[in-house]
Amino acid sequence: MSEQAKPANITDQAAKGGVLTKLILFSLSLGIIPISSYFLSERYVWNGNSNYAAITAVFAANVVLVTYIILSILEDKSPASVPPDVPKDTKKKQ
Amino acid sequence: MSEVCPAYAPFFGFAGVAASMVFSTVGAALGTSKAGIGIAGLGTFKPELIMKSLIPVVMSGIIAVYGLVVSVLIAGGLDPSKDYTLFAGFIHLGAGLACGFTGLAAGYAIGYVGDSCVRAYIYESRVFVSMVLILIFAEVLGLYGLIVALIMNTKATEARCP
Repeated sequence: MSEQAKPANITDQAAKGGVLTKLILFSLSLGIIPISSYFLSERYVWNGNSNYAAITAVFAANVVLVTYIILSILEDKSPASVPPDVPKDTKKKQ
Repeated sequence: MSEVCPAYAPFFGFAGVAASMVFSTVGAALGTSKAGIGIAGLGTFKPELIMKSLIPVVMSGIIAVYGLVVSVLIAGGLDPSKDYTLFAGFIHLGAGLACGFTGLAAGYAIGYVGDSCVRAYIYESRVFVSMVLILIFAEVLGLYGLIVALIMNTKATEARCP
């Protein structure tokens, strides 16, 4: 188990730093971007019309969501090009 | 104070503000916690899939954002220096309840779907696309509530005290 776990640990630790930063960034942006887009668009874009500002905020929140989905799909595709090691194959055959 | 603009009218308005935030947050908490159980299960077997499996949690966060936006929207229409009719109070209450309870429903759905699909994603990677589709359908339930709240809120400024 430890021989198969070692390559996984190396890739995990390589990815861990990047994953945590990404998650923190997305958490902050999901909190900050919609509400700031509501107030900024209400004042500067829609001339006080709060309904359009609410629609803008909803749109901004969904943009953050779609960005997260796309980023997670792209992140999964690049490590997939690494071929699996032989010890993992023998583990699967068992 | 008249019958059309009683002193207790802002009670309903603020109840709408609170209801929108509280119930959509309960829905988001249900979604996050239930999906988090499945993600913890997935994380022990395949840690490289964690970034993809966090999508239900992000969607639950968006449900809470819907509640927040409606709360801010309704609270922006409450002004002590202006007339506030009972009609506007009921509209704000209805808008808050519409957004809050649909957020609760959406968060509930996201939680159960996220939990099961994330666990199935360990074994079959093609479950991912269907998971995202089902989660989007669950999410638009909250969006419908927000749209109804927006439509109701546009009518709140039309009434005047006699």
